[in-house]
Amino acid sequence: MVSIARKNLFHDKVRFAVAVAGITFAVVLITIQTGVYLAFLANASVLIDHTEADLWVTAHGLENFDFGRPFSEKKLYEVEEVPGVLWAEKYFLAFGYWKTPTGSQETVQMVGFNPETMVGAPWNIVRGNPQDVKYFNSIFYDEAETNRLGNLPIGGETEINSHRVRVVGITRGARSFIQSPYIFTSFKNALNLSFVSRGNTVYILVKVAPGHSVAEVGQRLKETLKDVDVYTSREFSKKTRDYWMINTGTGVALLSVALMGLVIGTVIVANTIYTSTTEHLKEFGTLKAVGASNRDLYKIIIEQALINSVIGYGMGMVVSYGVIQIMRKGNLQVLLPWPVLVGIYILTVLMCLWSSTLSIYKVTKIDPALVFKS
Amino acid sequence: MTVAAESVVRLENVSKTYGSGESAVEAVRGVSLEVEAGKLVILMGPSGSGKTTMLMLMGCLLRPTSGCVYLFDEEVTALDEARLPRVRRERIGFIFQGFNLFPALTALENVEATLNLKGVRGEAAREEARSLLTRVGLEKRLRHLPEDLSGGEKQRVAVARALAGNPPIILADEPTGMLDSKTGWLITETLKELAQNEGRTVFVVSHDTRITGLADRILHIEDGQLRH
Repeated sequence: MVSIARKNLFHDKVRFAVAVAGITFAVVLITIQTGVYLAFLANASVLIDHTEADLWVTAHGLENFDFGRPFSEKKLYEVEEVPGVLWAEKYFLAFGYWKTPTGSQETVQMVGFNPETMVGAPWNIVRGNPQDVKYFNSIFYDEAETNRLGNLPIGGETEINSHRVRVVGITRGARSFIQSPYIFTSFKNALNLSFVSRGNTVYILVKVAPGHSVAEVGQRLKETLKDVDVYTSREFSKKTRDYWMINTGTGVALLSVALMGLVIGTVIVANTIYTSTTEHLKEFGTLKAVGASNRDLYKIIIEQALINSVIGYGMGMVVSYGVIQIMRKGNLQVLLPWPVLVGIYILTVLMCLWSSTLSIYKVTKIDPALVFKS
Repeated sequence: MTVAAESVVRLENVSKTYGSGESAVEAVRGVSLEVEAGKLVILMGPSGSGKTTMLMLMGCLLRPTSGCVYLFDEEVTALDEARLPRVRRERIGFIFQGFNLFPALTALENVEATLNLKGVRGEAAREEARSLLTRVGLEKRLRHLPEDLSGGEKQRVAVARALAGNPPIILADEPTGMLDSKTGWLITETLKELAQNEGRTVFVVSHDTRITGLADRILHIEDGQLRH
């Protein structure tokens, strides 16, 4: 069967290239922005999402995970007394200043966990044994921050807050939203390295015993503990993400660019398809004269839109892949699970179909006399 | 294909007015006409006389303001809009002055696409398109795009396309208008053969006096009315 749509599209190579370029541009913008957004989103709550805790006890009125404030560690004992609690662990988070080999300083976030139980420990170890953080001022850092932190090898030493520290391992996949490198160590080391007074903790992680509902235990904790807040892991994860994405406007900024890409792509494709339709109006009129129904004409226009979408999406993915490789070299994360890629394809198809509506309207209104004009 | 000598196309007191009120233009006024099978009829008239409007009315591309149009005794003016494409698909082939070929399709594909529309697909469509183009002497030009064809060749492709699906009625609008006299004569001869040898009804709108010698009947229209 002769595909008039395909033949028309490929015949005018310049116009076809313009349409594909428009779609490619839109797809790249949407893909990259969505990938950056999802990476930021994942980073925002990465430590929460990788602990085994069911519940989090935090200082009262905390906005998000990265701004943890200390409270008395005696709360731990109160937590342990609440029925349904299987275990509770102190967990530390505080900012510090890392001295690089050049003498400059990098702001880091010190994460302190219990190396005996490994609750809250880094989950993806590249080198070293995480239990070694139990040794005095022994730390892990994430491989993504290697350059930034001065390329320290295992055994290398530097200072955090003017305290000597030694690198005992490297992690992978632990990156914060605010781009301050996570430094993993024991709770005790983290407390010592920070400016927080002894007798405090920043978080208490709680595991609910089998047979007890997380919601119920959480409620009991809220009723028992004073001057602290209690969240399920999911709630705290969402709270942290929402803070960064909504309160700070980061999410809006990222998605605005994606939306802009969508609008620009739609306009370019609509303009191209419409111009093509207008130039081929006589042919559409001829088709009508020889017996094509409006539906037959719509099929041609829609087929053109779909061909554009497939090729534009393919090109967009190729270009996006290249851009992402460059971004990763620059230490920027992009997260694109396959359902998101499928969603972007569907969006591309919808964008192209929407772009065709003006053209479809145009062919519906063809003046039959048009075919008789030479 | 043979059709009995009967009234194939019939217009009864057909009028067509464009616009309304003070700007209304009566392009066709009270025309009654019968065209039989197997005849080549040429409608002649000056520009703006209503020739093209007549063709569009007969071809079910326009609805008359008043009056009735019959094709094979079926009143097509009574059909609703959605059914008219079927009528054109099954009964009418069009030939246009400007050829109206798809520039992106080869000669073969132009005819094949029309056959696809008429429900003939795949290899059957390709074979029939090849056969039609061979019939009009273009067997060596099948894979050429319209831009590579002469005016006469383009019009022959248009004739082949008009014959796709074997319609009993051929409506041609100035088929020789963009051709030299020799080529125009050849095209008109082809149309004559379609009428005479195959019993089709061929209705040509033209102001080319060079081809009137081939017509079975010549009609004149002026200011929307037929002159006898």
